Amino acid sequence: MHRIMLQKLWHKKWMNLCLLLGCILLIATVVSFPLYQTAAYDRMLQDEFRSYVAEEGRWPAMNSFSIVSKKERSGETISRMEGLMGKIYGDLGVTEKETIFYYTLSGANIHSALNRKDAENISLRLGSLSGLGEHVKMLSGEMYSETGMTEDGCIEVVMTQSAMVSMKLLVGETLVFNDLRDAEGKEIRLYVKGVFDAVSERDDYWQVKPEDLSSSVLMDRELFRSMFTGEKAGKYTVSCRYYALFDYEDIKATQVEHLIQATDDLTERGAYSGTADKPAYRSILGEYAKKQERIRVTLMILQIPVLIMLGAFLFMISGQMYEMERNEISVIKSRGSSGAQIFRLYLYQCAVLTLAGGALGIPLGTVFSRILGAARSFLEFDSLKGLTLTFTREVWIYAAAAMLITLFIMTLPAMKHSRVTIVKLKQQKALKRKSWWEKIFLDFILLGISLYGYYSFHKNGSVLGESVLQGDSLDPLLYISSSLFIVGLGLLFLRLQPYLVQLIYMAGKRFWRPASYASFMENTKNGRKQQFIMLFLIITISLGMYHATVARTILQNSYNNAAYMQGADIMVQEVWYAVVDTGSFTGEYAEPDYSKYAAMDFAENYARVRIETSAYVQTKENGRQDVTVMGIHTRDFGNVTWVDYDLNGRHYYEYLNDLAVNPTGVLVSDNFRTKLGYQVGDKLTYALENTGTPVKGPGRSTEGKIVGFFSYWPGYAPFVTETNPDGTVTTRENMLVVTHYNTMKQTFGVKPYQVWIDLKESADSSDAYAWFQNSGIRLTKYVDKAAELKKTMEDPLLQGTNGVLTMGFLVTILLCAVGYLIYWIMSIRSREMMFGVLRACGMHKGELIHMLLNEQIFSGVFSVIAGIGIGKLASGMFVPILQRAYAATDQVLPMNLVVNASDMVRLYSVIAGVMFLCLVVLIILIFKLNVTKALKLGEE
Amino acid sequence: MANDCLIEVSGVNRIFSVPGGEFQALKNINVKIMRSTLTILKGRSGSGKTTLMNIIGALDHPTSGTVLIDGRAVGKMSDKARENLRRKDMGFVFQAVSLIPTMNAFQNVEFSMRLAGIKAGRERDKRVEECLKLVGLGNRARHMPAEMSGGEQQRVAIARAIAHRPKLILADEPTAELDSAMAAQVTKLFQEMTRKEGITVLMTTHDVGLMGAGDMIIELESGEQVHGGENL
Repeated sequence: MHRIMLQKLWHKKWMNLCLLLGCILLIATVVSFPLYQTAAYDRMLQDEFRSYVAEEGRWPAMNSFSIVSKKERSGETISRMEGLMGKIYGDLGVTEKETIFYYTLSGANIHSALNRKDAENISLRLGSLSGLGEHVKMLSGEMYSETGMTEDGCIEVVMTQSAMVSMKLLVGETLVFNDLRDAEGKEIRLYVKGVFDAVSERDDYWQVKPEDLSSSVLMDRELFRSMFTGEKAGKYTVSCRYYALFDYEDIKATQVEHLIQATDDLTERGAYSGTADKPAYRSILGEYAKKQERIRVTLMILQIPVLIMLGAFLFMISGQMYEMERNEISVIKSRGSSGAQIFRLYLYQCAVLTLAGGALGIPLGTVFSRILGAARSFLEFDSLKGLTLTFTREVWIYAAAAMLITLFIMTLPAMKHSRVTIVKLKQQKALKRKSWWEKIFLDFILLGISLYGYYSFHKNGSVLGESVLQGDSLDPLLYISSSLFIVGLGLLFLRLQPYLVQLIYMAGKRFWRPASYASFMENTKNGRKQQFIMLFLIITISLGMYHATVARTILQNSYNNAAYMQGADIMVQEVWYAVVDTGSFTGEYAEPDYSKYAAMDFAENYARVRIETSAYVQTKENGRQDVTVMGIHTRDFGNVTWVDYDLNGRHYYEYLNDLAVNPTGVLVSDNFRTKLGYQVGDKLTYALENTGTPVKGPGRSTEGKIVGFFSYWPGYAPFVTETNPDGTVTTRENMLVVTHYNTMKQTFGVKPYQVWIDLKESADSSDAYAWFQNSGIRLTKYVDKAAELKKTMEDPLLQGTNGVLTMGFLVTILLCAVGYLIYWIMSIRSREMMFGVLRACGMHKGELIHMLLNEQIFSGVFSVIAGIGIGKLASGMFVPILQRAYAATDQVLPMNLVVNASDMVRLYSVIAGVMFLCLVVLIILIFKLNVTKALKLGEE
Repeated sequence: MANDCLIEVSGVNRIFSVPGGEFQALKNINVKIMRSTLTILKGRSGSGKTTLMNIIGALDHPTSGTVLIDGRAVGKMSDKARENLRRKDMGFVFQAVSLIPTMNAFQNVEFSMRLAGIKAGRERDKRVEECLKLVGLGNRARHMPAEMSGGEQQRVAIARAIAHRPKLILADEPTAELDSAMAAQVTKLFQEMTRKEGITVLMTTHDVGLMGAGDMIIELESGEQVHGGENL
């Protein structure tokens, strides 16, 4: 049996190679999916953590607990908590970074042993902070010693500088508690040993901030434990805080589920839930998990067509192979071999192919996933980035499933054939019919379904957008609709193609040379045989077109949106200091030196922009409308910002000119007109919200004359979409008043503003960053447009979508090429004798090639053209709906269908390359055709 | 009368390279075939019949020797001239079914006329019908090859071979796949061609029962001409 099988494999080696290729590609594609995803999720998770750190400046991966042990004789609570701290990292499955124990005795009064007048009765807290020594530098004196006690039994303590100042203590002083006694009833004395300062305040160790220690002195932890907690100490009330910090960099996407579970067990359900604070990382993980699910489902849906096509390819090739072996099978069958025997033979054969496919496909999958990770846009790659691939259990499950499915698809046709005897075969061959799908009008059915889908999605577009904002993934029905549309139109084209060829034949009936005539006849009578490969080609190309447009549109819209929302290349805001007048805040600030910005050698232009988000407008009906007020220098602002003409339907500078010539003018967003009924020329009264601080001098509100309405303005979002705690989404209108900076200054006083910077052509954002680093300017805000755009482009959803679509196209076009070649090689082989006859009748090779070229045009070129047309149509119809599925909550610009010429050029060149290659192979085949040899085929 | 001689084969040898040496398929063949005659080339399989046919049909080159057709040396012709010769002056009938499966009987016959450069029109259509009638299939013009029996297909092939009025028809075992009655009928058809159309026919066969129909018989054995070259 095994020898027969190997012989069979060798005998049909080309077919089997094609099958193997199909197996490899299918398995590789399937495997690349979880591989890529895990890597992408890891990156995404780390990004989430990093952006939290960047925005909040705090270590997110931390659990904290607080308890108070009230006069507990045993100190059991404290021991339990310390026990918890010992095993928490293991429970969560994370790596410990820092564990901090902070104990304090409740405040107690002391007096100085020196009997100083100025420090008679001080209230302080005695505490201990674990690991203190490693994170401080001593400003004066020394750190407490190993034993924590002086030789004469005083507790050594250290404190911060601010504590020393506020409590007026001296280094070297001895303090005595007024009414606090130790376990044996003796008085407790403290010896001030030193003053410390944090080595670095940014150190994540400082969960208890040095500034929170201004009424505390700290002693050795061990000593504290032995004196105030535990067996002997039953009369103290100790407040305890525990901090467990762990490394988030080690957390893998696969751990997230467990980590969430373990965290919830700890902080919400377990014995310690009452003592635990809600950890910051929990919401990061929660957000991540939601996002991850959306990406996972979306990418999976996008992969389905490719997988189906891979399956169809395998089915086609194996079917083709059985077709070739039909006679053989039916002869064996008629001679008494059982169906099961034949089936087993094929099963073994397919199993060998599948195993080989797995062995080669799984490594190829890693290559695929790297390609996925490198896709910047459709068929466009960045240099291969270091995606850290891990073979998780999921990968192996996917691989095993892919192999089983491959095996099933390949052996499926064998089941059919193992039942066919030679008699049935002859009967079958005699029947020539229309394709089954033509008879049941599958093309019309599919088109009907997809158009219904299109219609209902089109009608309910806003609902779709909303569900996406609520975190839903791409609606599979929508994507299926578009795919069915493509398949349906492809089939319809196949139905019409013979008539089209007939039409061309009729049109030039009198002029066709013999070769063309023969090819017309071939197509009319034999065209149906190529339907499968034509459909494959049409679907590949139209899906390719469609996907190219989807990828480009989504990417471009996100990019444009991000670019628009950022307003200028760099936006910074300095730290402003309030003017404090005899202890009270006047609401005025001291304006930092603005002229220093002139030294920014990387900047082409810069402008100050003041934005007040807490403002309102006194409306005509005497109501209040919350607005945002923006104060600008028209000229400077115009130099650093830009709004496309299309967005407002008017040149951006015209707005700025209108404002510039009118000192009391305001530009307002369009909703003032649509919602509040304002007209150009109307007066508008706007004011800042009462922020609780008195404003000196200038008045609190002012009046402006409306000089223009705009729909879009740099950094302005007409709508803000907010997700409510219950998961629903509300859309709020944003109203913006743009006025002169000077008007704002006169009316509302001097308050912090931002500086918007336009980079020089020759400079980039790193120059700006370096400049600010060196300038010593303290910033509270630094927004870098380039970085924001990069972040947008690297969004795993966009990036993964591009990757999946590109990979899908490359895989299917490869299959197309192989399928196409197989079809044509088989077609030429089966007609070898006929070519011989034609040659004998005096046709030369040129004519034969001409004939085959014609056939290629009727099948290949027609399919390509149909594919392009169908792709364009599908893009035009479905992309505008589909892209809503990708709309971010902050999508404010109208979304446009984007077709990038260079994308199409890339697509066409891949197709042209593949077609050319096929043609070359076919022509070589024809030239190798030996006429006399061909004729002899008819002899024996 | 030199003009009466259509084909003159002199001193033709054909040697094939085969793995491990050479194989001489034809040894010093000398044949003269007169116009409007039916010549039968006889011999066992492997005797070199088809090789000789291919050489006369300008499909193959002799290793040495010359072939004159209508007084012209085939060996000296360009590829194009040889193709033209095959298109216009020759018709082929093969052993196995050689019709183009995607064309019906009419179209198959018409196709050889297209190849010969005969313009479309009434004339051509009439000729196709005439040829189909000649082979007794006037009423089956619209049938596809798959819808006809082997004999019928072979008759269509003969109609196709004569349609463009060639000077010579080369028929390689045209009766091999037919029953004896049908074989006799086809051979009789060839005989009629020589009379009605003035065509010269060269056919190979190993069917002894058909030998009587020939005006001349050439017998080959292992590439050697053992008999023939003269009129009976």
